[in-house]
Amino acid sequence: MAAFMLSRRTAVLCRTLKGISASKTVLPANSQCGLLLQTASYNPRPLRLNIRDPYIPDKDSEKTPEWQKTAKYDRKLFGRYGSASGIDPASLWPSHKELDKIIAEENEWHPPLEVMLKNIAIKEKAETEKRLAKEKLIAANMAKMPKMVADWRRQKREAKLKLKEEKARRTKLLAEARERFGYAVDPRSPKFLEMVAEIEKEEKKKKKLLKRRLKEEQAAGVVQPPPTSS
Amino acid sequence: MSFPKKPGGKATDILQNLPRITLANLRPEPGSKKLWKRLLASHGGNRSGRGHKGERQRGNRPRLGFVGGSTPFYLAIPKYGYNEGHSCRPQYQPLSLKRLQYLIDLGRVDPTQPIDLTQLVNARGVTVQPLKRDYGVQLVDEGADIFAAKINIEVQRASEGAIAAIERNGGVVTTSFYDPISLGILIKPVPFFLRGQPIPRRMLPGEDMVPYYTNAENRGYLADPEKIQQARLALAQKYGYILPDISKDELYHMLSMRKDVRQIFFGLAPGWVVNMTEKKILKPTDEKLLKYYSS
Repeated sequence: MAAFMLSRRTAVLCRTLKGISASKTVLPANSQCGLLLQTASYNPRPLRLNIRDPYIPDKDSEKTPEWQKTAKYDRKLFGRYGSASGIDPASLWPSHKELDKIIAEENEWHPPLEVMLKNIAIKEKAETEKRLAKEKLIAANMAKMPKMVADWRRQKREAKLKLKEEKARRTKLLAEARERFGYAVDPRSPKFLEMVAEIEKEEKKKKKLLKRRLKEEQAAGVVQPPPTSS
Repeated sequence: MSFPKKPGGKATDILQNLPRITLANLRPEPGSKKLWKRLLASHGGNRSGRGHKGERQRGNRPRLGFVGGSTPFYLAIPKYGYNEGHSCRPQYQPLSLKRLQYLIDLGRVDPTQPIDLTQLVNARGVTVQPLKRDYGVQLVDEGADIFAAKINIEVQRASEGAIAAIERNGGVVTTSFYDPISLGILIKPVPFFLRGQPIPRRMLPGEDMVPYYTNAENRGYLADPEKIQQARLALAQKYGYILPDISKDELYHMLSMRKDVRQIFFGLAPGWVVNMTEKKILKPTDEKLLKYYSS
């Protein structure tokens, strides 16, 4: 407020404010100025209001342009010339209809503070929930990790072993074939395949025999101990 | 008897006795500045390095970035990431504490009254352009160590160091929001009053800015006053100064002056029409209008 004091046109404004609040005597600006110790100030632009020779357009004549008959121009006239412009001050404010429109627009586009705070709270809650769910998922998966790592490693080892076994088996068969036929046989040829089938049959027979023997031994073993124990 | 030799010797004597360095004593290293060679015939002449005919020689080349008519590269590539939406982002003109102290010292800004954006613009301390997505002024902590003024200042954004520096000196900071129309009215009040419109209500900030202005750490105007007091104490502890008690201050009434949430000017309520020529304020009497403007 004090900064207003120093300049001519803002001093006018200050006096008007003082005037309205008191609505009787206008306090002189000096009474406030005396307390200040201003060393420098700015020079405001002079306000050329042109009160002596105002141009107030004739509303009824046809020669005046349309834009000088609008409500906006009327307000500007009032702003420049005051009551000398001959405009009813009541028209400066929006009419009831316009006011309704304004209120509806404001309610739509500018929700009150409580509504906004609620929306913000909801959004924050959703965000934190999402984040927590994600972190939970990550934690659960990380807990599973050692087991998964061990499984994978085991799988890899087994696969490697299998490959090795396969290779060994193949070399053995090739060696067998080499012995039998006397020359290097192509593993894809039908001879080789026949040989492989024969070997497999022999192995199966051997296994069966082994199984029978094991069973007999087991049966014999089961029968023998009871008589000795009793 | 051998005197101990002073270190440096003649060089230090010369340095101490030479006059102070000014622009008049300085000269560039010989050979560092090559003179501009004029194009005066033989190989500098004929076409003078401009090429043969065409826009090149005649100096009519199009602007930088023009690619003959198709959409240029700098327009065809869309913005994303860091630069996306940069033209829609709110901007705040920085105001350093150094500049504020300078303005106060020169008497352009009055510290015995609340300092508002209007005061700063009147003092020509800052220039705000609401049409360039400026939403106001932000306090920056440059000059926090030399700041020594007790003020009641209202800005749109403030850094923590700036708030600490002001409160350390017994002042008060508030951050408040002005929507673009209110900002335009705030920085140029007199042209607004000449328009003859009633003072509008200040709108509330958007949802993205409400958390900032309801936070006591930022001294937001929508925050709880008790929380602001707690935040003042916490900040004093953090920055290591004793918080002066402003309630015992002689200027306590001025320091506690705060604008209403919907108010643009101190002492003027929304809905009033200020007339400069007749030095009058007109207030509405209709109930509906009063209800709207005071809600």
